[in-house]
Amino acid sequence: MKTEELLINMGPVHPSTHGVLRFKLTMDGEIIKKCEIVMGYLHRGTEKLGEMKTYLQFVPYTDRLDYISAFPNNYAYVKAVEELAGIEVPLRAEYIRVLTLELNRIVNHLVMIGSLLLDLGGSTMIMWGFRERENALQLFEMLCGARMTFNYIRPGGVREDLPEGFMPKLNEFIKDMEHRIDDYEELISGNEIFMMRMKNIGVLSAEDAISHGMTGPSLRGHGVNYDIRKIEPYSVYPDLDFRACVRNECDSFARYMVRIDEMRESLHILRQVVDAMPEGKPASQAKYGIAPLTGAPTAVSTYFPRIFTPPPGEVYSRIEAPKGELGFYVVSDGTIKPYRIKIRSPSFCNLTAIPKMVEGLMIPDLIAAFGTIDVVLGDVDR
Amino acid sequence: MNPAEEIKQLFPGSVVSTGIQTNKPMATIKKEDLLIIAEKVKEMGFDNLSLITGIDYRDRFEIIYNFFSYAKKQNLVLKVVLDHDKPEIDSLESHWKVADWLERETYDLVGIKFRGHPNLKRILLPDGWVGHPLRKDYDMSVDQFVTLGEDGEDIVSTDGSNLLRR
Amino acid sequence: MLSLAMWTGDIMFPNAYELIVYILNFIGLYEPINNIFKTLGIEYVLRIIIVLVEIAVLVVFALLTIMFLTWMERKVVAMVQARYGPMVTGPRGLLQPVMDGVKLIGKEDIIPAKADRWVFTLAPFIVFIPALLIFIPLPFGESLIISDLNVGLLYIIAISAVSPIAILLAGWASNNKYSLMGAIRAVAQDMSYTIPLALSAIAIVLFTGSLSTVDIVSAQNGTWFGFIPKWFIFLQPLGFLLFLIASIAEMGRIPFDFQESEQELVAGFFTEYSGMKFAMFFLAEYAHLFSVSAIVVTLFLGGWSFPFLNLLPAGLVPLVSFGIFLVKTYVIIFFAMWLRDTVPRVRIDQLMNLGWKIMIPLALLNLLATGFLLTAGVF
Repeated sequence: MKTEELLINMGPVHPSTHGVLRFKLTMDGEIIKKCEIVMGYLHRGTEKLGEMKTYLQFVPYTDRLDYISAFPNNYAYVKAVEELAGIEVPLRAEYIRVLTLELNRIVNHLVMIGSLLLDLGGSTMIMWGFRERENALQLFEMLCGARMTFNYIRPGGVREDLPEGFMPKLNEFIKDMEHRIDDYEELISGNEIFMMRMKNIGVLSAEDAISHGMTGPSLRGHGVNYDIRKIEPYSVYPDLDFRACVRNECDSFARYMVRIDEMRESLHILRQVVDAMPEGKPASQAKYGIAPLTGAPTAVSTYFPRIFTPPPGEVYSRIEAPKGELGFYVVSDGTIKPYRIKIRSPSFCNLTAIPKMVEGLMIPDLIAAFGTIDVVLGDVDR
Repeated sequence: MNPAEEIKQLFPGSVVSTGIQTNKPMATIKKEDLLIIAEKVKEMGFDNLSLITGIDYRDRFEIIYNFFSYAKKQNLVLKVVLDHDKPEIDSLESHWKVADWLERETYDLVGIKFRGHPNLKRILLPDGWVGHPLRKDYDMSVDQFVTLGEDGEDIVSTDGSNLLRR
Repeated sequence: MLSLAMWTGDIMFPNAYELIVYILNFIGLYEPINNIFKTLGIEYVLRIIIVLVEIAVLVVFALLTIMFLTWMERKVVAMVQARYGPMVTGPRGLLQPVMDGVKLIGKEDIIPAKADRWVFTLAPFIVFIPALLIFIPLPFGESLIISDLNVGLLYIIAISAVSPIAILLAGWASNNKYSLMGAIRAVAQDMSYTIPLALSAIAIVLFTGSLSTVDIVSAQNGTWFGFIPKWFIFLQPLGFLLFLIASIAEMGRIPFDFQESEQELVAGFFTEYSGMKFAMFFLAEYAHLFSVSAIVVTLFLGGWSFPFLNLLPAGLVPLVSFGIFLVKTYVIIFFAMWLRDTVPRVRIDQLMNLGWKIMIPLALLNLLATGFLLTAGVF
């Protein structure tokens, strides 16, 4: 039967586009025939801004990319700069960084699962998730005074050492989280309606997923055993015991389950980090490049200099951010400012898979698949 | 074996130089032979096109492809140098689907054209934007205003005087 | 003088009108008032006044219930989600619905430029009025019924079938694709779930032989073995389940809230509505919640009846039975709210599959088995 096609404009203001994304859907009744994604509503020209800031000044801008999990952004950029300039980082700083990264991974997955369930119509999970997220955010606040945009990790180490009373609170959080995750699984994972909505929805073969540049937990739901922490180890990850969480079903449910597994794995890493946390300085004190230009040295000047000049060159450095492969391509021309910064954001590349994934499905499935891809629009539009 | 060297052996005429880009093997290749080499690169198991970066060096453009192989766990960097006057290169969209958007982004922000791309239009900035922001000669003193048209499409204008008419 | 006989005698009235007349008689006011009207030759005015008083009481009760339900919903959701819910306005936030009302009245009443103005304005009322009309044949307690229609059940099903029309009007008149899709979904859902709803209600009618809600309740009066109440839930467990699921779908609540499905269709058929028109939809939804729960209680949970109610003094029975009815209804309402917080929404095609492929055959089977067993004289 020939029917008239319906063009539906979903977004940029829509409850379940997680920000300002716009889907142009060509529909046949309730079935999606074609899905076109329009974006850029949150484009702030971060890469251009980076060319006008010194290396250190750009760190706060990275916070604003993926604002749900800002520590990995900080770290990915700082890691690129450190590789470019050859900066050595004290061991304690690396441990503190891993601690924040894994804590932030848990926070990110809590938000992701919460908003996924909210998109499916279950309002409870996001509240439960935010309850635990609040505890983690309080830890972040203790660490650097900010709850979402941290500006904490910087070239040469971290901004400040762990504050007093941080470790006991962290231990409390880890202990609390363990049975909270069981609670979430009881609420969601076994739910018949949830399974109906997630199983065999948004299926994409592993080859297609790779070709579409999917990375991170979303790709590991497609049976690709791939985790940058494992295959290109950075920081202190080689010393830590953990596994890459992989599921083989290639559907939305698998992508969701990878997140749950990863939260458990992150807790496991956190426990090891707490045990292994070495003593020492939280930041490098090495002299490098140009020393501070003007003014008397302040207390902070015992830390790594604020202004420095990496040798001319270019580096592509990537880490396993909670959403996938987050990379920074930094080009130095030997001045105090980067010549070019290119951000490889996981949300942007993961999003390319959506049109293929949802063809022939319905709007509710689009929302389910989109929720499991875990996209933050600040990261897509940059 | 170093995949960059491998490519050099296979295409001695196309590879300008090989080297290391901070612990990743890199090959600088001629722009005419990108498609042939890309096919070979895909055959060699580099199934993940991680990133396409376009850089404006004032006298030339460089476009850099970062590949990764899930099977071999290897990196490969391909670098192509383009003329500053006519930045055009073949599209890799047919080999890696992610190149679709990465190339559109590079076109949008740096202004490098990709031959054979099925849908080469701006992605982050609205259609009708003047200039490519990540070019070094981009004029930042011009204000550009974006408004929403009747059908939901963006309209760009450099004249902001009529925006506050209500 | 209150005589003991009046308190213990077995008195029942067919409806609330008779009860009011009896009470007026009892305190000795009916005759004098009636005489005044009689001398004026307009006796019917008194009847009309009494009916109007009944309606006023009913409307006030309905509105208060709706307000309470909005508060209760928020509180239940908050309880499940480990938070407080409204706490500021009034004791434990009890005045929150009033504040909501004030806010909604203060909102600008927007009619989209390309909307069909008349239909757009009319739709909220067509939704709201049937939601109140359903209250008429509901037996709130012994003698507490506005009108004991002999087709009560049919009336209820017929009236609740009006709301899809209004929803379709609202969705169409908004001139918005999301509204239209929400409306089409809502109508499809309502139509397919009214069938199992009606079929499992018919199985009850087989037992009672009457469509009157009062007869249905009084058929459930009494006990087996002295302690098991004679409620139809024990005779019709499958029917109860089907009816409950279908009625939650009729209410349009999660997991079946396709008329809104806010994450997919923004707000479904009332996307374009604001201010008091939006409030009408909102109120109708909660009126529906109460009335449908009340129908479940009436049909399957014995209505206002409860074992050993007859041991109470007869004068107290209307009041106590009213309390029992409310408690039972609120149990069902709580269940619906609880369900909303626990499960996600099903997909529209899954909903239709459930309705047509599972629930309707089961309801038919249930009806067949019931009829068969009744004819065989098992019950």
